Amino acid sequence: MKLPIADGPMLREHTGRLLRTNRRGLGKVLALHTLAATTGLAGPWLLGRMVDAVAQGTTTTFVDQAVLLLVVAVLAQTVLIRYAQRAAMILGETVFATLREQFIGTVTRLPLSTVERAGTGDLVGRTTNDIDRVQHSVRFGVPRVLVTTATIVLTLVAAFVVNAAVAVAMLVGVPLLLATTLWYLRRAPAGYLRESAAYATLNGTITESVEGARTIDALGLGPRRRARVDDDLREAFAAESYTLRLRTVLFPGVDLSFILPIIAVVAWGAYLISTGGATIGAVTTIALYALQIIHPIGELIFWLDEIQVGATSLARIIGVDSVRPDRETREGIPSDEHVVAQDVRYAYREGHDVLHGIGLDLRVGERLAVVGPSGAGKSTLGRMLAGIHPPTGGRVTVGEVPLIDLPLEELRGHVALVTQEHHVFVGTIEQNLRLAKISADDEELLRALEAVDAKEWVTALPDGLMTAVGSGGLTLTPAQAQQVALARLVLLDPHTLVLDEATSLLDPRAARHLERSLSAVLEGRTVVAIAHRLQTAHDADRVAVVDGGRITEIGPHDELVAAGGGYADLWHSWQHD
Amino acid sequence: MRPLPSAHPGTPPLTSAPAYLWWVARRQGRLVLGGAAVGVVAAVSQAAMPFLLGRLVDTGLSDGLSRSLLVGCLLLLAVGLVQVVANVVGHRLEVENWLRAAFRTSQLVGHHVSRTGDAVTAELPTGEVVATVASDSLRVGEVFFVAARFIGGVVAYVMVAFLLLNSSVTLGVAVLVGLPAVAAVLALLVRPLQRRQSVQREAAGRLTTLGADTVSGLRILRGIGGEEVFTARYREQSQAVRRAGVRVAHTQSLLDAMQTLLPGLFLAAVVWFGARLAITGEITPGQLVTFYGYAAFLTEPLTAATQAVQVMTRALVGVKKILRVLRVPVTGGDPENLPSDEGVRGSTASAGADLVDITSGLVLHAGRVTALVSADPDETARIATRVGLLGREHLQDAPRVTLGGVPLDELGLAEVRRRIVVAESTPQLFTGVLRDELDVRDHARGEVLMRALATADAGDVLDSLPDGLDGLVAEKGRSFSGGQRQRVALARALLTEPEVLVLVEPTSAVDAHTEARIAQRLAQARSGRTTVIVSASPLVLDRVDDVVLVADGVVQGRGTHRELLDGDARVAALYRAVVSRTGPQTSNGAPATGTVIPRPATPFTHEHHREEDPREAAHR
Repeated sequence: MKLPIADGPMLREHTGRLLRTNRRGLGKVLALHTLAATTGLAGPWLLGRMVDAVAQGTTTTFVDQAVLLLVVAVLAQTVLIRYAQRAAMILGETVFATLREQFIGTVTRLPLSTVERAGTGDLVGRTTNDIDRVQHSVRFGVPRVLVTTATIVLTLVAAFVVNAAVAVAMLVGVPLLLATTLWYLRRAPAGYLRESAAYATLNGTITESVEGARTIDALGLGPRRRARVDDDLREAFAAESYTLRLRTVLFPGVDLSFILPIIAVVAWGAYLISTGGATIGAVTTIALYALQIIHPIGELIFWLDEIQVGATSLARIIGVDSVRPDRETREGIPSDEHVVAQDVRYAYREGHDVLHGIGLDLRVGERLAVVGPSGAGKSTLGRMLAGIHPPTGGRVTVGEVPLIDLPLEELRGHVALVTQEHHVFVGTIEQNLRLAKISADDEELLRALEAVDAKEWVTALPDGLMTAVGSGGLTLTPAQAQQVALARLVLLDPHTLVLDEATSLLDPRAARHLERSLSAVLEGRTVVAIAHRLQTAHDADRVAVVDGGRITEIGPHDELVAAGGGYADLWHSWQHD
Repeated sequence: MRPLPSAHPGTPPLTSAPAYLWWVARRQGRLVLGGAAVGVVAAVSQAAMPFLLGRLVDTGLSDGLSRSLLVGCLLLLAVGLVQVVANVVGHRLEVENWLRAAFRTSQLVGHHVSRTGDAVTAELPTGEVVATVASDSLRVGEVFFVAARFIGGVVAYVMVAFLLLNSSVTLGVAVLVGLPAVAAVLALLVRPLQRRQSVQREAAGRLTTLGADTVSGLRILRGIGGEEVFTARYREQSQAVRRAGVRVAHTQSLLDAMQTLLPGLFLAAVVWFGARLAITGEITPGQLVTFYGYAAFLTEPLTAATQAVQVMTRALVGVKKILRVLRVPVTGGDPENLPSDEGVRGSTASAGADLVDITSGLVLHAGRVTALVSADPDETARIATRVGLLGREHLQDAPRVTLGGVPLDELGLAEVRRRIVVAESTPQLFTGVLRDELDVRDHARGEVLMRALATADAGDVLDSLPDGLDGLVAEKGRSFSGGQRQRVALARALLTEPEVLVLVEPTSAVDAHTEARIAQRLAQARSGRTTVIVSASPLVLDRVDDVVLVADGVVQGRGTHRELLDGDARVAALYRAVVSRTGPQTSNGAPATGTVIPRPATPFTHEHHREEDPREAAHR
């Protein structure tokens, strides 16, 4: 399942809201920068005045005064720039921090069924790459766009105030500027995205080469890995060449549209001077403005480019907001620990039922083994019984209350799903355990570790429970990681457990150690074990055979064998093998 | 632009970072010089603008649309056009310079790690190696990107300074001495800024790790709880990053302010001085405009110079990291290595010879399928990798392993790899089209591929890809389940069709029924060819020609599965202890989900019964 991506209207609405909530900060930044830009206009204006004054013959007093004014303007600009830039950067930091915190908040509240089905790759990508890509736009881009726009507008206004007739000539480059910029901006984001995709592929190739170094050596894959690196570089080169071609059009277009106004101002200005419509000083001032406006326009184009790329990432970040909740908490307190499935159906795609009306009455405290061929719907059934997906038909209840009516915090206290997946969070062992029961004291954590046979190695660590684990800390062995996961279950203490081949992928060496730990966790709980190995079925209180989305047989092992059905055939063939 | 990458990146000196940069520079010397030449043209044409404007103010403006105005405007246009062309050509050259240097470096790293064998994994964290390609090589590229602008800027700077010196000695000296002083003052502020920036970057890196970690464990968080704790942790770090960012803002805004103040005051001084000269008639009003233009222009080369110093510093740090990767010794036996590369005599051993591990006393008879068994699976795995000399931990063992009587060190590692293939238990798959990823020696046709997939019982893998053999294997085979990955890796190993095939625990992640099928087909497929399988599964042991029992690093007995079970009392007892161990049964009869004796547990597994949702496969 793919996670949603925000569309245009949603993106605009979200951006609008972001700007509105930061209205005051934005206003302040804009005001300060407008003032700073105004003081920056003093230089050319004073120089123009001086050119006129010198031509008409003037005194050093005038020059001194004018330069003093210039110095004052520079000082004012310095102070204003200092505060404007600081305010803009702090605003960017604040907005970006809010954005990423909201994102993580939304992600950690995603519906259980979405999390189970979407896989983590996409979400990790959004948390790392997309957040990174957006940060540049939000932290620097948005403030700079506002600032450059203000500067451009102000410079133009100033030019028109000095002499509107001359200033008109400044606009001569506008059509060319607009045409090239629009042409470029329409093509650029795709080009730059292709570039970053190419580099991501290259980094992936290097990662594989390093992590698989032994396999490469063993199978003589060296030449292929080199060819792969060369291919990746070739693609990166093609992507770079494409954006370079785009810039080969953009740069001359933009540069030319900067030079034309200067010449136009001079030529048109000269004509106006001859008709008495302008002074040399005014023309000088406006020509210098035309020179000065180049920088902010260039910067604006740069940021529009960046912001476009950022917007595609932003769409992926805020797209997560539009995932609908998969359950609604309703009234009802479970009367006991009795889990019952009634006529449960489930379809991943509409009209393609994977489960066809399954009924199952779990006896409190029993061990039920679920066996059946791959693809029969065992895992899907397990997730229904654990309340992870709301069934598309029928219901699963605990103590008469449907599982999906329970708030998630409460559901976890009733039923838990254990898969072969384990994850050690970056942090201390204590933090890794306490997430299952925030109120637990160290004593209780150690008891949980003891129950799963892990107290010994944990307490033997130099920092004990406070040992940092996960990336950057101590690397736990798969068996240790699984034990930590099991200790979490002990702390969580649900009365029913659904085991989905919980240890089947482990190294045979590790599995041996873990069985003890696991059996300690199972003690005193209702257990549904989905399993490959027939041994599991043999040892269980009852066996349910699932085939084609239905329970075809159910009962104690001995009865099923005696009944002489499909299960009995299998059992016999296994024994004769 | 010449297409990249080049066929061979060359052999750089690994002595020092500057030596490396110099080597790269010499490889693209003409490009660098070309860039510099264009950089000079661009900078000079830019500096010419104020000069032409000044001339126009003096000679053209006051006379209306005169001839001199026309000439002036045309000159302005001509210089402008030169600038336009120089800019775009210069940009193309600087990008090409950048790409050549960066790609050459990436290619060197990418090629080197494909030869080192596991030495690279042992010596450096993966992240550090990837970072050399992801960022350090780009730092190298940047040096060549800014070089042209830097050189052009310096030339233009000196030229303008002398032009000014011509008009006024005071102004000229002020430019030559004053502006670099201004730049030095600014550079003082750059240091604390960089410090604060790196603090923020570090904090942001931790934040990203925290975010990625939280999201990776999201299924656990949603299943077990603790979301609040983790969002709170993230929020805390996010605020730390923001606070670090605010500290950066304080310094950065100060630097921005200084960059306004110092050139601004310099400009004011130039205007003041120039205006006084203009009043006394020493210079024309036009020259005053030129001075103003120069003063504004001159800050650009200064910025370029400051930037160049920063880029160079960063690049030298990056090159040091790159050299660390390139200095990792080559411990692998790459097929493109020549015997002379490895300093071996190039002895030959005839095909169809016995492989002997002197240390353990293990003799692998040519043409027989042999299983290795030990109470300690690590021990047999170690012997299996040793006979194939896989991994740098075994390099010193080469003289004590012989093929047809010839010690492996005399054969050379590349030859050993060609003849003996070791497939380890943790399979590593690579991104690519399934067909290519299976057929690593580029000689198998479709039919042979299908046969290998059937031997490995990997038909379901084919079904799970919409395009079958032409389907794409995701990074590290992530889209396959653990069992599928193992079976694909097994098919891949079979397809190398080596003289000696060594398989370490090839079926540890598959269910018993599948294991039984694989064991039978594997023995058939390799019958008559030397094969070693490390496994303690009776299903496998029952199918092979010979079983060798190892304990304490030494061979204890050999025979068929039956013979070992029923033979010599001591050996039989030892053997039984290994192969018939049942998982420790718990007192309450809890299901022992990982029993060591694999038994056909789910004979329901109709081979191609697959209406399953692919998503379900991902959960297995």
